[in-house]
Amino acid sequence: MIHLMIFLPLLGALLLLVTPRTWREEVAGFVAALTLGLGLWLWRDGGAALYSAPWVPALGATYSVELAGPSLALALITALMTLVAVIYAARRIENPGTMLALVLAMESALLGIFAARDLVLFYVFFEAALLPSLLMLAIYGGPGRMRALVKFAAYTLLGSLLMLLSIIGVRYYGGSPTFALRDLVANPVEGTAQTWLYLGFLAAMAVKLPLWPLHAWLPDFHEQNHPSGVPDVMGTLYKVGGYGLFAFALPLFPDASLELRPILMALAAFTALYGAWIAFRQTNWKRLLAYAGLSHMGIVGLGIFSLNETATVGALYLLAFQNVYTGALFLGVGMLQERIGSVDTRVGGVMTQAGALSGLTMALWFASIAVPGLAGFIGEFSVLLGAYQVAPWLAFIAGLSTIAAAAYALTAFQTTFWQGRPLGSVRVADLRQTEWLVLGIPLAVALLFGVYSAPALNLIQPAVRGVLSALGGS
Amino acid sequence: MLTAPDIALAPLLPILLVLAGAISSTVLGFHLPRRTLTYINLALLVLSGIAMGLLWSGPGEVPATAFGGGLQADNAAILLGLTIVVGSVMTLLVSLDTAYRARVSFPEFDAMLMYAITGTLLIAFSGDLIVMLIGLEVMSLASYVLATLQDSRRAEESGLKYFLLGSAGSAILIYGLALVYGATGSLSYAGIAEATAGLTPGNLGLLVGGALLLLAGFGFKVALAPFHQWTPDVYSGAPTSVSLFLSTVVKVAAFAGMLRVFGGALQNAPFWASALQILIAATLIIGNAASLFQTNFKRMLAYSAVAHTGFVAMTLLGTPGLGGAALGYYLLIYTLMTAAALAIVAALQRTEAGMEINDLRGLYYRHPGYAIALAVCLASLAGLPPFAGFFGKYLAFQAAFQNGYVWLSILAVLASVAALVYYLRPAMLMFMPDRTPAREYAHGQRPATNLTVALGVAGITVLGLLPNLWYGWVADPAIWELLAGR
Repeated sequence: MIHLMIFLPLLGALLLLVTPRTWREEVAGFVAALTLGLGLWLWRDGGAALYSAPWVPALGATYSVELAGPSLALALITALMTLVAVIYAARRIENPGTMLALVLAMESALLGIFAARDLVLFYVFFEAALLPSLLMLAIYGGPGRMRALVKFAAYTLLGSLLMLLSIIGVRYYGGSPTFALRDLVANPVEGTAQTWLYLGFLAAMAVKLPLWPLHAWLPDFHEQNHPSGVPDVMGTLYKVGGYGLFAFALPLFPDASLELRPILMALAAFTALYGAWIAFRQTNWKRLLAYAGLSHMGIVGLGIFSLNETATVGALYLLAFQNVYTGALFLGVGMLQERIGSVDTRVGGVMTQAGALSGLTMALWFASIAVPGLAGFIGEFSVLLGAYQVAPWLAFIAGLSTIAAAAYALTAFQTTFWQGRPLGSVRVADLRQTEWLVLGIPLAVALLFGVYSAPALNLIQPAVRGVLSALGGS
Repeated sequence: MLTAPDIALAPLLPILLVLAGAISSTVLGFHLPRRTLTYINLALLVLSGIAMGLLWSGPGEVPATAFGGGLQADNAAILLGLTIVVGSVMTLLVSLDTAYRARVSFPEFDAMLMYAITGTLLIAFSGDLIVMLIGLEVMSLASYVLATLQDSRRAEESGLKYFLLGSAGSAILIYGLALVYGATGSLSYAGIAEATAGLTPGNLGLLVGGALLLLAGFGFKVALAPFHQWTPDVYSGAPTSVSLFLSTVVKVAAFAGMLRVFGGALQNAPFWASALQILIAATLIIGNAASLFQTNFKRMLAYSAVAHTGFVAMTLLGTPGLGGAALGYYLLIYTLMTAAALAIVAALQRTEAGMEINDLRGLYYRHPGYAIALAVCLASLAGLPPFAGFFGKYLAFQAAFQNGYVWLSILAVLASVAALVYYLRPAMLMFMPDRTPAREYAHGQRPATNLTVALGVAGITVLGLLPNLWYGWVADPAIWELLAGR
């Protein structure tokens, strides 16, 4: 079942290449829905247990996968948002075959990342996710995409190759028989070697998270992507850095995590505030959302680096649901662009003609700026609460970013959706057909898990306890 | 009293089959059309591969040898020999379609190619320095001719450059060989390895000097910086099918020789590893930095071949067990991806100078199959999973890292990032929409080239997903610890 869930989207992507043009949307939608269904089934069964088989025995690489706890939560969100993206892409993009195939291929890689319990396998999925996202940018990107592409790829690969050296080192210095996480944890690396290896691992995760100063690829990546926002949805799902830190870095490098905690927390807090500050000055919706995402990821980082249970639970909660509402906001920007032909934040007066679009966008922004009752609040609040117990001042600095978030979100919303509609501008159509679903489903999810957080917390909390108790942490 | 020389034909068979192809191409060229000869040669190459498979020695078996150990068909030789056969088959297939356009479509081309392959196999199967040298010279002389064969100014220039620098390299190599003989009193790998274990200080200087000269000589052959100067000009000046041959088969053979000499015979000799480390660092920096600034795609691939030399050579720094396995895996992958990429260049180029990188813009909308295949090759060359290039790079890093060359590994990581940038540009340009008219040769798609490309792409995809299919064979450390014979 778990293997089917990981590889079904990839099979679907290959199938799309041979599907007649008229049926591609339906096939893609069916595959995406089926994947989500499989995920929900796994959830009902309490997750998929660890499955391990030798892959390259001579090398010690195994095919170990497991979907339980936070990884199941993230996989479910990935499947949900892929389905939403497919629904939107099918209507919005002309001749969407290639895009849909890439979206599905990306989904496979992401599910693989969350399921992998072997470092080499994790690395393979980690890098495999790079290819579809690069192709989406290359085929559908804006005029400045070459620069964005090179920047994105160079940052990502620099980080992940350093991680590769760390992976080699972790097994070599620890003396583990295989690269399976279980064996590696049983054969830990001690002393300064651990710190160096942690830094190598961190390089990859900090680029993906992204953490200041390794974030520079992010705004260009989003700005140059296709205006529909579909690649951005997959891009926001790409923020696997936080997950990788939690699932691999903490268990493998416990002493180093403790040792570097103050520095990393400070970096994360600074990232949160810095992202919010820059977002305030943006006049391009996509750049604004990119910096807003950066700010949120700073808070996620703060939670994970703090090694505190409440904060880590909050960070993973935020990581999961940030994908939902930020992804939906990217799609909302795509709808706006389709109607007014620009992604500028100073359009004015959209509310008067497209009430539903504006209203749903506003509700999603509320989720994003952590208004209580929506999913973002639970995550951010828990992170700040937990981080405060570890480093009050840093929690305070990061907390300022939530105030800044309200400022940048509401300012941009006001200049686009309220104010006066310029004279002679085109009439803006309201939401049509499937667009209701595209914005409605994510909002419903954000609302549901903002009010009733128990199902998600039940998934996340035991795993966090397990990891942190092995650490002997607070 | 005369003793009969120890001649065993079985271990010679793979080489003799290829030699038979070379001779028959020379002789039958007067009677048969070239295509027929090419088919015969392809068949002989496949037979040679099968013969190698039959020579495979299982656990406990003693590998077959001939000429008193001068030629040994151990598993290392077979694995490298199979890689050579794969590269040669791909060269011949591409030449079926492109030799006519490149104006090298005459039997001599095939003959020279087969002579060169004979030489490369001799190197892989060599058991002493003289056989290795003979193989190297047969290979080099045939390659000089191949590079010059086309009737053009550029080919002449590249051939002459190759010849002059190549002979200088050979001279240095022979001198080093003489010094090693002087220091150890033996020419066979086993004898040298034995002698280097306990050496008097007087001979030590001689040995170090000889080893360094050998390193420089091999540096010319595999294109390690600073001995790489000829590579870009020769690879980009020669007809593309010849560039394909030179950058895959010849390089594999030269590395096989290096592995035999440094991993086997001179394993215990001091100092060469530190020198090699510096050469690799220089190669990684120069090769990758120079590739970044190329505007011609074929020339960029030439520089990237130099860069890959740096990655491959890292495996020589590992312990023989780990490094040899890594080398065995990397060379096959490298052959598959480079050959497939150059086959596509050969099919699409308008002239033998290759194409500009900018000409690739929008290729996906004109030749979707070639564009996807080339993208796969470039991703693999850049070392991105799930393609096999990733495991090659991984193994190379691992071999060097675990033997204590941590800084070199980090340098290799930085070099890989630069490599990604220059592989990414053409790969992504191909997928960008373009409205200008096509810049490719209109009749580029031909069955044999397509077969080569399919072979390469299928190989790097399957071996990337299931590396064990090949790595399972090469991973046995026992194979590589016997490099010098018993």
